[in-house]
Amino acid sequence: MSRAILRNLVLTLGIAGLCLLSFSSAVQAVPSFARQTGMECYTCHTVWPELTPFGRQFKMTGYVMSKSDKLYQFPPPLSALFQGSFTHTGRPQPPGAAPFNSSANDNVNLPQEVSVYYAGKIFYKLGAFMQFTYDGVSNAFLVDHTDIRFANTAKLAGKPLIYGISFNNAPTVQDVWNSTPAWGFPFASSSVALTPTAATVIDGTLDQQVGGLGFYGYWNNLLYGEVNFYRTAAKGYPQFLSGGTHVTTVVSGVAPYWRVFLQHQWGKHSLMVGHYGLVANIFPQGQARGPSDRFTDLAFDAQYQYISKKHRFSLATTWIHEIQNWSASFALGNTANSFNFLNTYRVNLNYSYRSPYGTFGGNVAYFNTFGSRDALLYAADQLDGSRTGRPNSDGVILQGLYVPPKWEQAKIVVQYTIYNNFNGAGANYDGSGRSAWANNTLYILAWLMF
Amino acid sequence: MKRLVAFSLAGVLLGGLFLGAAIPAPAQEGRGKSIFEDKCALCHGRDGKGNGPAAAALSPSPTDFTNPGFWQGNVNQKITDTIENGHGPMPAFDLSPGQIRAVIDYMSHTFK
Repeated sequence: MSRAILRNLVLTLGIAGLCLLSFSSAVQAVPSFARQTGMECYTCHTVWPELTPFGRQFKMTGYVMSKSDKLYQFPPPLSALFQGSFTHTGRPQPPGAAPFNSSANDNVNLPQEVSVYYAGKIFYKLGAFMQFTYDGVSNAFLVDHTDIRFANTAKLAGKPLIYGISFNNAPTVQDVWNSTPAWGFPFASSSVALTPTAATVIDGTLDQQVGGLGFYGYWNNLLYGEVNFYRTAAKGYPQFLSGGTHVTTVVSGVAPYWRVFLQHQWGKHSLMVGHYGLVANIFPQGQARGPSDRFTDLAFDAQYQYISKKHRFSLATTWIHEIQNWSASFALGNTANSFNFLNTYRVNLNYSYRSPYGTFGGNVAYFNTFGSRDALLYAADQLDGSRTGRPNSDGVILQGLYVPPKWEQAKIVVQYTIYNNFNGAGANYDGSGRSAWANNTLYILAWLMF
Repeated sequence: MKRLVAFSLAGVLLGGLFLGAAIPAPAQEGRGKSIFEDKCALCHGRDGKGNGPAAAALSPSPTDFTNPGFWQGNVNQKITDTIENGHGPMPAFDLSPGQIRAVIDYMSHTFK
């Protein structure tokens, strides 16, 4: 490792260490959900942001569970986030090619992100998770993940029923499991490293590009059903949900989203199997009217958890199958095919151990995106193109984490992403000589919540 | 004489120790009440009837500690196991053995 890399590493870890030391005895400032309920972080999270069964109940009931009898939360449920990171890739990016004027390699992003949350009870049974973010890499302020809910309880066939309304700005941000895209592993990643180009629409493409109103019901801690209707955030009432984000993916009309799952708890174990999907008509890039392309996403997921006092283990997986009707883009000459398929498969194992010296944990994940060959859609281009015209990317993510004792709002993450294939090939994937391993990413993150 | 005084003192000390252990101090129960209201009342209710603000959404429902059936058998061990390991939707809690004893003392003197 060169001196420069070592210097940057030491700088990042040193700053993280100083932050930990300065806050290691602070118990007054806790995230707003914990303040509202009186619970510790580990009550609702295995290692945040992954949820426990109790955490899922808290979210499902609209973020309003409180130890107080008051109709509102006072002081207001505000929290904050700070992230500082270091990124090193296998090979530097060519001069001037790195995003947002970043260095070709060895980027220290301080901050990577600063966020303020309104997260908790608003009034009576209305609650919210609203995140407002300063992106330190792109130097931009934006409305981030937002989920505003009203939930109530009733009895159905003598069993408890939770039902509610969610107003949100990203499909699956309202989901309570960590197998779906919005809250799936790796939870945080580098903003400056290259990542595969192809992604299904439901896998983050519509985040902060839409606003949606949905209805859900959860019966007897067993069966869940939801429908949500998204519209573009480029105009109309959902516009405030994309504040600070340029809406480049414009949905035509209404994009319905649906979600069902079955879950069962026994002892320290819980298991969920589910299905979710989305149909979206999207205008070709740069267009906001006229013919549109249609994307139909069908996904299956599952998550298993084992939670004891010291040991926490989870296995989460999802498979997304997307049917792409490119009729509008094909007519414009933007794609080689009028129909394509795109698939994404992810599985991750998470383990953590709570000791008097802190929580130690690790993750191993496998990801694979593959689909139809389309030489126009996946054209050759330096760094982010595809020599083969295929979207195929696969690899492994290895991660270690540490949460200090007495201050569980802090987390240190060391993450390494290894690519087997990147944008359609392992060797010379872009047609300009860059290989998949050149994008292997070492990412070190200090993540603090207040 | 000195031996008699020594043994008497020892007896008084030992007796005081046992007496102190047998009767929970008011401070112990107050501590238990504080922990119960902070950690348990959200689901079990301040009155221990299993009707806290979060109870309606939970399945199975939180235990009603005022039900005489709950206090059958080895209750201390049952409560300790549940606090340390969780049960169904109830999470585990990081309480020290002393804190758990204080909560059990409070529950047995308030709900039994």
